[in-house]
Amino acid sequence: MRKASLFLIVCLISVSGNARADCRVHKGEHVVLYSTTDDPAVLIWDSRARLREYHAASFDEAQAMLPHALLVSPGTHGDVVSCIPGYVVSPLFTTPDDAVGVSITNGSSRGAVRWVLGSDVRPLRKH
Amino acid sequence: MRNGPFVRVTGTMLLTGFLLLSLGFAVEGTFETRAQIANTFTRQSQIQQAQIDLEELLRLQIDEENSLRGYLLTRDPFYTAEYRSASAGYDAKEDAIRKTLGEQELPGADKLLIDYAHLQLEWRDTVAAPLLAHPRLRLQELDKRNKLFADYETLTAAAIRRELESTGDELALSTQEQLDRSSYLRAAWVLVFGVFAIVLNTYRSRLNRELEEERTVTEILQRAFKSESTPLPHCDVGSAYLSASSHLAVGGDVFDVYRLSENRALILIADISGKGVDAAVLTAFIKFMVRAIALRNSDPTAILTEFNVVLSKAVGDPYIFVSMFVGVLDTDTFRLTYASGGHDAAFVRRPNGVAQLAVTGPVLGVMEEPFGTETIYLQPGDTLVLATDGLTEVRNAAGEQLSDQGAMELIERASPGAQQLADELAANVRARGGNRVGDDLAILAIRVVDGKAPSA
Repeated sequence: MRKASLFLIVCLISVSGNARADCRVHKGEHVVLYSTTDDPAVLIWDSRARLREYHAASFDEAQAMLPHALLVSPGTHGDVVSCIPGYVVSPLFTTPDDAVGVSITNGSSRGAVRWVLGSDVRPLRKH
Repeated sequence: MRNGPFVRVTGTMLLTGFLLLSLGFAVEGTFETRAQIANTFTRQSQIQQAQIDLEELLRLQIDEENSLRGYLLTRDPFYTAEYRSASAGYDAKEDAIRKTLGEQELPGADKLLIDYAHLQLEWRDTVAAPLLAHPRLRLQELDKRNKLFADYETLTAAAIRRELESTGDELALSTQEQLDRSSYLRAAWVLVFGVFAIVLNTYRSRLNRELEEERTVTEILQRAFKSESTPLPHCDVGSAYLSASSHLAVGGDVFDVYRLSENRALILIADISGKGVDAAVLTAFIKFMVRAIALRNSDPTAILTEFNVVLSKAVGDPYIFVSMFVGVLDTDTFRLTYASGGHDAAFVRRPNGVAQLAVTGPVLGVMEEPFGTETIYLQPGDTLVLATDGLTEVRNAAGEQLSDQGAMELIERASPGAQQLADELAANVRARGGNRVGDDLAILAIRVVDGKAPSA
């Protein structure tokens, strides 16, 4: 029984480790936010569910969800607090994207913890 | 009777026909493939043009947004003019791409483009227009909406780009497949034609070999059962024999001059339907059977009657019939009694002209009707001329038959000697047919040269 429990724990750790490895950023990393779309500003969401719904929704539905998002300037810094690989899917994406929990560390939204699309964050290398 | 030459000609025509058919298919296939590839290339080039136009459209969209940003930052009317110019360019370009996508039947890309254009129009109405009207109105909600439009437009444009790339790839693949298929098709045609030609050539070789063997056998038989003209007292006998031009068409005509006694001779000429080995064998059968009958009963009617029975019962082939002239010539008196079973080409040349001898009964092998006997007396200088239908039915270049009358005129103009006469008639037939003999020809000429001949 103890061996089985140990095996289960090892498997969970392994799966968890793999999941973390699939994310483009990891918990504790310092990141910078900017979007690769025509508008480099970034929408940050109050929940990961809304982040996902926004990208899966129609344009009108997405527009109705905007009050739940903040728009931060490109170049806003933050710390990764969580990352869920492949959580966000969209009919317009070729592959699912990550949902990244970020604690904003500068700008007008400093201190806020929000959810951001994985492709809108880049690891910040400190010199 | 075998139809070797017919099969050979048919085989040649079949080979030629197949060659032409293969050539036609190959040429048609080449043109069709060329048209298909040209069509695919045209579509590819249109897709490429649509891709270029799409990038231009994105540039114009960004120009619109940048002009708006420029105006918001500087309030310079130059940027509003730029904005309007970019908007007009965007609309024109969008129309051009939609036309191409419609022609290419790309409903997925077309729908995305409609969505994309709709977003841009809505952006103009809900984001650009309020900002142009109130440049200081930079509300957070307006910025977020601008961001929403930017995200959707970027992703929609990317989806259109992927759709066009995918279609372009499919067309390139299709072109490659068409080229491959064209190559395989040509190779297949060459293979099929080659195999068919080999098979047909093998078949023709075998057929030719068989026909050559048959010809050899036939010639051997003909030599063995050759028509003969025995010298007769007080008579000059001449003969000629021409085989039809096709080297396989031998046999079928026979003549015979056979002395039944010191002063009586059997005179025979016959034409058998059909050619080849069977006909050659039948000529021998006729010659010896008629001789045998004549040795027992020299009455020409009896000879024809008995032979007709034998032909019907012994040969028993409903497709074989024989025209035959049988005469018995008394070489002392030159009395000729004869019976003619449907044999027209029998003539007597006299100093005052040529007469045709009457037919006294039907062709043998068809029906059992009585045959009559006729008697004539030949005078010194008269010539009995017997021939087969190769003489009277020979055609000139215009397709006209010589006919009995024409034959009689030829006989009248011919040289006096029996052999000369026979040779001249044969030469005339050959010349008339353009050196090609379409049917066998047998000629037998018997000229009375001296002796006591009672008046008729």
